[in-house]
Amino acid sequence: MKSLAKTPLKLAALIVFVVLGVNVTASAQNPRISTAQLDGLASKATETVDLNLDESMMQLAARAFSGEDPDEIKIKDLVNHLKGIYVKSFEFETAGQYSDSDLESVRSQLRNSAWKKIFSASSKKEGGVEVYLMQIGAEITGLALLASDPKEITVVNIVGPVDLQKLSELEGHFGVPILDIDLANPKRKNQDRQE
Amino acid sequence: MKTEGDYPWDRSGEPDPEVQQLEEILGTLRYQPRALEIPAGIQVGRERKFFSGSASRLAIAAAIAALFLGLGLFFGLQRLERGQPPEIVKAGNAPKPSPTVSSPDEKSNSPLAVSEPQPKPQLTDGPRHQRVSQTLVARNSRRIRNAALREQQLALEQKRAEAAKDQLMLALRVVSEKFGYAQKKAQELNQKDQVHNQHKIG
Repeated sequence: MKSLAKTPLKLAALIVFVVLGVNVTASAQNPRISTAQLDGLASKATETVDLNLDESMMQLAARAFSGEDPDEIKIKDLVNHLKGIYVKSFEFETAGQYSDSDLESVRSQLRNSAWKKIFSASSKKEGGVEVYLMQIGAEITGLALLASDPKEITVVNIVGPVDLQKLSELEGHFGVPILDIDLANPKRKNQDRQE
Repeated sequence: MKTEGDYPWDRSGEPDPEVQQLEEILGTLRYQPRALEIPAGIQVGRERKFFSGSASRLAIAAAIAALFLGLGLFFGLQRLERGQPPEIVKAGNAPKPSPTVSSPDEKSNSPLAVSEPQPKPQLTDGPRHQRVSQTLVARNSRRIRNAALREQQLALEQKRAEAAKDQLMLALRVVSEKFGYAQKKAQELNQKDQVHNQHKIG
């Protein structure tokens, strides 16, 4: 009698676990990271950049690019396949305006199997930078970058098939500097840096 | 037959026997008042009323509907004849501008005044020409207005696209700046590694 009463409870618990598990898996595979928790820093910042370019905005922006200028053609080609670029950056007058917990709230979303840290460097004076990639097979489906120094904090999130080859082709154009990313095997490069 | 005396007129005087005989013969046919007797075989039916019951209401409603339809058709045809698009002037009590309006004030009040080209005088010789020219003017004005609207929409979309492009460029600049910072850090780490390795070998 007791076991009979417990059976529906067990079934309900199992369903809850399955639903939660599906949700967690789905959210873990989502390359879009939440940065809303950083919005409170805007009141302290002297300069705030908050850019939310979703797919429709990217397509709209792509229309404004010239079809003749080779540089613009490259950028158009790059953004045509992206689903979003989200940038949040705060610059402060003095140091110590943000805490580690602010960065940690973003970093915690990247601490799962879907994201791979390809590079990180940090120093007490200059701050640090972390680059994460989300990959499905060989295809990159998301990119996240956390950069911080005592007076600045920046989070960049690119959603969609980020073509690092095409991104590297933009180097030197429109203020995009020349990068030295090992496009063939970013993971190996990451391991090299961490060693 | 004697005709003396007043007997034939007022029965005074000596009666004439022939007249008396005639009176007796015709007296049988004298009017005798009696009640109307309707024969039992005849059936008295109800009076047929055309506008009775629901039929009358339906007939009135149909008449009103037909009246409104007729009025609508009439005014619609008039507007078409004058070459005025129906969406510009509200149907019914709105004043209809005359095709021969030439006052500058009236023209300036008209919604078509901005882009409506003036009809040429040689085309407005007769009422037929007037109607045709007004229709053409209305069509042209509609075409011009649509083209202007399309241009406005395109300009607005272009503006939005330019704004989105600016945002995208700003985002790419921030991304590139931060990647540049990462690259610089990576190079520094590489140099440190190389120096460390050289010391080890040394």
